[in-house]
Amino acid sequence: MKAYTRRSRGARLRVHEIWDRYKGENHETALLLLILALLGVMAIVEPSALTMTFVGDIIRSGIVTLALALGLLLVIISGGMDVSFPAIAIFSGYATITVMNFFGVDGALWPFLLASIMGIALGSLNALFVARYRMETLIASLGTQVIIRGVLLAFIGSVYISTLPAQLDAIGASSIMRLGNSPVNILVLPVIALAFLVSWMLRKTMFGRSIYAIGGDRESARRVGIRVPSVQVRIYLIAGALAGFAGMVHVVLSRHASPFELVGTELNVIAAVVIGGALDSGGRGSVKGTVYGVLLISLVQNSLVRLGVSSYWHVLVVGVVVLVGVAIQAQASSREAKTTRILESTEASA
Amino acid sequence: MVTQSRVKVLAFTAAAGVALAACSASADSTEAGVGDEGEVTMVNVVKLAGGDWFNRMEVGNQEWAAEHPGTVVTQTAGDDASEEKQIAVINDLIPQQPAALTVVPNSPESLESVLKRAEESGIVVITHEAPGIENAVANIEAFDNNAYGGFQMDTLAACMGDSGEYAHMVGSLTVASHNVWAEGALERAAADYPDISRVADPISSEEDQETAYQRTKEIIATYPDIKGFIGAASTDIAGIGRAVQEAGLQGDTCVVGTSTPSTAGSLLDDGSIDVITGWDPALAGQAMLQAAQLVMDGEEIVDGMDLGVPGYESITQDPEIANNFYGDAWIEIRLDNLEDYPF
Repeated sequence: MKAYTRRSRGARLRVHEIWDRYKGENHETALLLLILALLGVMAIVEPSALTMTFVGDIIRSGIVTLALALGLLLVIISGGMDVSFPAIAIFSGYATITVMNFFGVDGALWPFLLASIMGIALGSLNALFVARYRMETLIASLGTQVIIRGVLLAFIGSVYISTLPAQLDAIGASSIMRLGNSPVNILVLPVIALAFLVSWMLRKTMFGRSIYAIGGDRESARRVGIRVPSVQVRIYLIAGALAGFAGMVHVVLSRHASPFELVGTELNVIAAVVIGGALDSGGRGSVKGTVYGVLLISLVQNSLVRLGVSSYWHVLVVGVVVLVGVAIQAQASSREAKTTRILESTEASA
Repeated sequence: MVTQSRVKVLAFTAAAGVALAACSASADSTEAGVGDEGEVTMVNVVKLAGGDWFNRMEVGNQEWAAEHPGTVVTQTAGDDASEEKQIAVINDLIPQQPAALTVVPNSPESLESVLKRAEESGIVVITHEAPGIENAVANIEAFDNNAYGGFQMDTLAACMGDSGEYAHMVGSLTVASHNVWAEGALERAAADYPDISRVADPISSEEDQETAYQRTKEIIATYPDIKGFIGAASTDIAGIGRAVQEAGLQGDTCVVGTSTPSTAGSLLDDGSIDVITGWDPALAGQAMLQAAQLVMDGEEIVDGMDLGVPGYESITQDPEIANNFYGDAWIEIRLDNLEDYPF
């Protein structure tokens, strides 16, 4: 009897050790297990739904969310919150198309650049409020969201544009390969490249480490010589550029421009980033986790019709899965808060 | 360093500001006008500001206003298609005391109490796309919604050769008219087309084209034999058509749905969309205003009344709901008559 207890405790210890080793810096493993569990449910309930087309559809549905999430990730790691990014994104995308139509010019690459520059300009509003006037980030971005959207609808346009300039439309129709019946658009490549770039920046650059430092403890960061406002300005400008780019990706992928889209999706994107391990109190988060978070959200959203779940239940099911994902993170980080962090690995996350 | 970046930010913000100011200078400044002495103000509250559909309704409103000197008609809405925004908009309008409100509700049930207050303060309330609403003198429909659903099914069936599976997409499960159309279509299929069946409950697109597109991809993957789609919100068939086009199924599926030529017309070319059905929002807007005018003149809206608007020359009273009236104003837009409908 005694021996049995000891052995089982030993086994439990070993499980803990293994878990500690593989849980990932931001509990990505738990998230991965949740994703696998959902796929498992699908495999049992509707095995015919698990096809390459399904993979293609998830990529297509997640790519804009990921592009939007990258900028938000920086803001959240730095201890802020941003709800203005979808407004910045659709403003940049829609205004770029409007400018192109107005002047009758066409192009493939520069519109993305123009949208990013517009994103930077709009992001500077956030930067101004947050870094200069020290406003609460959530409140500041709530304000800028409404302002940006209002200006877009009132002055840029509220008309649905059903056809894009020819070269952009061609990008929207060009794919690098087909997964089953689902074409994988070429724009997946720049978004993936951006994900790697942001990941590298967060891990390897002084600027990236400063973002974590500010999010961890703003005052300490200031005392070790990090210029907090300067870092914040750069964060919001970069986040603006990423949002502008994402807006253009959205417009080109959907092959029409409507000023009413994207705003309203911010909660999905925030959920993806938070599920991915970024603490809303700051100082933690990774691109890898964010990618998993986006995967989870896209997976749920694109499987309910396949599983035959009635539309009446969709919102509820998505809500429950998001809640489970966030709960896993909250649970894990509260457990960690109880243990001392002095000897925590100095190896970079992200 | 800090100062430098501050300067940069300020420069950027200034640039953004200048750009925005430049935009605003070019925009029209047609101010609504609360109504001078003797002017009658009527306000058209729609689901969503801007957008082709309600812009077209505004064209109709202004035509009607031009024919009725002394009447000012303005259009307003929340900046998203939510019930809450619409309630707030109407709340703000009540103290301004317009003579009439012509309302296109996002969710009729949720507007009941605010419309009740509007009526109690003496404002004439006429609605559209809200059968069964209680706090309105009359709800004017372009057609009987159930019959329109049947008409959509007839159109789809003709295209599908009277057999096959179809899916029905609605803007939201709370938009009453969309769901009555879906029922009407299903009932017509059950009655007249035994070989046509619906694959699932109506699927919500959340009034979003991207969502309609993604749900359609799911439907195509889940029901490979699918032959037809019906869309309800104006962006539904645009999203459906795009997904059908990408899957290369233009020739194998029939897409029929409520929309406008400017939203979905370009997809008629290659058969991604087959028929756009609907009604002309300009005429619906005029019918609402005319009904409001008649009520303000002391008349009662009755069965067989002529509103003097094409398709609404002899409106029918709903036998079950006393304040619900419909015309016979549905239209069918195909590639060959696309040019007749410039909206």
